Amino acid sequence: MDKRIVITGLGVISPIGNKKDAFWNALISGTSGVSDVTSFDTSVFKVHRGCFVKDFNYDDYVSNGSGREIGKGSQFAIAAAKLAIEDSNVGLNSIDPERAGVSIGTTAGEIQILEKVNYVRHEKGDDSVDPNLFLKHPCVNMPSNISIEFGFKGPSTIIPTACAAGNYAIGYACDLIKLGRTDIMLAGGSDPFSKVAFVGFSRLNAIAPDICQPFDKNRKGLLVGEGAGMLVLESLEEPPARNANIYAEILGYGLSCDGYHITIPHPDGNGVTSAMEKALTSAKIKPEDVQYMSAHGTGTVANDKAETISIKKVFGEHAKNLAISSIKSMLGHTMGAASAIEAIACALAIKDGVVPPTINHETKDPECDLDFVPNVKREMQVDIAMNNAYAFGGNNSSLILKKFTG
Amino acid sequence: MNSRLVITGISVLSSIGVNKDEFWANLTNGVSGIKDVTLFDVSKYKSKKAGEISDFDAKEYLGKKGIRHVDRTSLLASSAAMLVMTDAGVSHETYGEDELGIVIGSTYGSIDSISSFDLEGLEEGPTFVNPMDFPNTVLNAPASRASIFCNATGLNSTISTGTASGLDAVIYASDFLRLGRGKAVLAGGVHGLTADIFWGAYGSGILSGSRSDGIEISAPFDKRRNGLIIGEAAALLVIERLGDALERNANIYAEIKGYGCTFNPDKVSHGNINTEQGVRCITMAMEEAGLNAEDISYISACANSSVTGDKMEAEIIKDYFGDCVEKVPVSAIKSMTGECLDASGSLQCVAGVLAINNGVIPPTINFQEKDEECNLDCVPNNSRESDVKNVLVNSFSDTGNISSVIISKYS
Repeated sequence: MDKRIVITGLGVISPIGNKKDAFWNALISGTSGVSDVTSFDTSVFKVHRGCFVKDFNYDDYVSNGSGREIGKGSQFAIAAAKLAIEDSNVGLNSIDPERAGVSIGTTAGEIQILEKVNYVRHEKGDDSVDPNLFLKHPCVNMPSNISIEFGFKGPSTIIPTACAAGNYAIGYACDLIKLGRTDIMLAGGSDPFSKVAFVGFSRLNAIAPDICQPFDKNRKGLLVGEGAGMLVLESLEEPPARNANIYAEILGYGLSCDGYHITIPHPDGNGVTSAMEKALTSAKIKPEDVQYMSAHGTGTVANDKAETISIKKVFGEHAKNLAISSIKSMLGHTMGAASAIEAIACALAIKDGVVPPTINHETKDPECDLDFVPNVKREMQVDIAMNNAYAFGGNNSSLILKKFTG
Repeated sequence: MNSRLVITGISVLSSIGVNKDEFWANLTNGVSGIKDVTLFDVSKYKSKKAGEISDFDAKEYLGKKGIRHVDRTSLLASSAAMLVMTDAGVSHETYGEDELGIVIGSTYGSIDSISSFDLEGLEEGPTFVNPMDFPNTVLNAPASRASIFCNATGLNSTISTGTASGLDAVIYASDFLRLGRGKAVLAGGVHGLTADIFWGAYGSGILSGSRSDGIEISAPFDKRRNGLIIGEAAALLVIERLGDALERNANIYAEIKGYGCTFNPDKVSHGNINTEQGVRCITMAMEEAGLNAEDISYISACANSSVTGDKMEAEIIKDYFGDCVEKVPVSAIKSMTGECLDASGSLQCVAGVLAINNGVIPPTINFQEKDEECNLDCVPNNSRESDVKNVLVNSFSDTGNISSVIISKYS
């Protein structure tokens, strides 16, 4: 039960860059991934912006080119997983496939396939739909496709806890290793751009017209994004024979549920504080030990305010000393991938001693009066980082990463 | 594996009963819940039947408030969650703040809601869709809705591993409790019948009666089997650590002794049945439980009347049990309930728990013609009295997910 879990590989597919180095350089330079939505007609909407993965060609990542038709969520995830495995130097041949598993999070799975199915139904009727296409939609296809791609025979699971899913999936991956049920896990999150989410959030007036401004007084909402983040997680007790590059150790995590409302966060932030407190307890650390926090920070009025209140509740006076950033200011909200990509940002912040900024931060909000690392990265030593993610349905999560010191 | 885990509550909403007593009476009397679909129009399909719950009224369980914009799968999940709390005598107050959790296996039930929302946008224009329907499009809606009705502010999670997800939810909850991350978890799977899934399953040719002029029947392990019949159900367990359950004088139905989870990446091949990962999964569960093959008194099978799926399970069981296989009763309750997809694994668990508590093994009904490829003792047509000590529950999903759980008499 006392196994320590370390992150040994990182892979990202994101609106500001694919592959770890391109992503990280863009992130600490404060690059925005926002652009106009071109994949469907937005003229009837009041908002037209989103964050899209650019220059993605699946065949660049898979050598076998098996041609198996899979959804974009699986493609992003497999590409990110390939990058993470390469990054870890673990060598696929040295992995015992029966001791290797997959744990991934998503909001909407292969939503683009269902959107395509529905488009055909709408235009030509039910009978024109290829049933095999429909069967590629359910989100269970994502972990299955990954396990099949890598030949893994350990647990292969998906946790679709919406916008907090990446953290949930990483947490469960750690548990599977701790319980001795696997030795190595591919864990993270993936979501392709969802028109359904765009329509839904726009009907809730939650989409920003131009840019995403988390914690800014004039913040106007989130931007729907897409991407994938995958991590290679291993047990330290069974150290790989190779000279592994250890980015960080995962110390613990905490989950909770508002049990309050399906879309509105609890006004007192009760569930959110509980997740943070449980994470601190599980990591056996004090609030004062945390230097950096990757906030959920969607850029909506309600979320950012509630999150600020919760951070103050948990951290007290120390809240003001925390460097807090929302990288959603750059990536938009990559949904189920968000907290996985944010965990990657935390790992790199720890490794490189640099924390990414919250961009588009122009006007201070008295209700969000913490240090959000406005607009410019900050060089600082990060020993412990907390990664927060919340979701529709009140699913809250906090993950704690620590500098690996042997 | 330091702490022992016990089952202290069960609930079931199914086509053969909307409470555990009714369910068990029908299950052991071999009553089928499969009938003509009434929830939506199936006139254009050759397959007409499903295991539909005809007497489900969410208001009975949840009251009138807050259920208008909630889809069927979420209503079933929330109702089953309320029922199982009552059965176990737990509430959000039993263990103090944020200690009561919910884990729901759900992959397919919300798809109809997503499509309805999307199609409404295509037909009416996206600015006319009802934002109240948007929350139904997130896959964690059933578990989240249930948390609101139950005030369950601890763990809340959703597992979507296809037909293995009900059993995987039980496994996930067990892992969580073993690591001391919570005190009590309501866990299991839910599947509400929808037109979309029926349509998709029919189109892909997996439904019984969908091809040529074959009969439409759920007949697992029978030579006449020609596909599955979809069912709907919600089946939840309350799982706690033994120490906690004893301390609050809970009624202990059974113990979760062990489980295994594997994945078969080679399953997606052409007619080749690869039993290796299925056998490994059962082996893991048995080793964890500290049991030998001859200790298993009953196998609650995954078999759903599909031609290759049933054969695969039979081969896996024969490969693992070897010479003992003749002595192990294996029954497929899907002969009565249909393939309840996400709910199947936990429904089999509930059946296993009741088998232990009542000393009766439910039958595989519709069994007429023996199939040499599935020559197991499938408890044909009539239930059987037996001192049931250890039950093996299998979920082998078409997607490659393989899970097994062992539920044992508590002593």
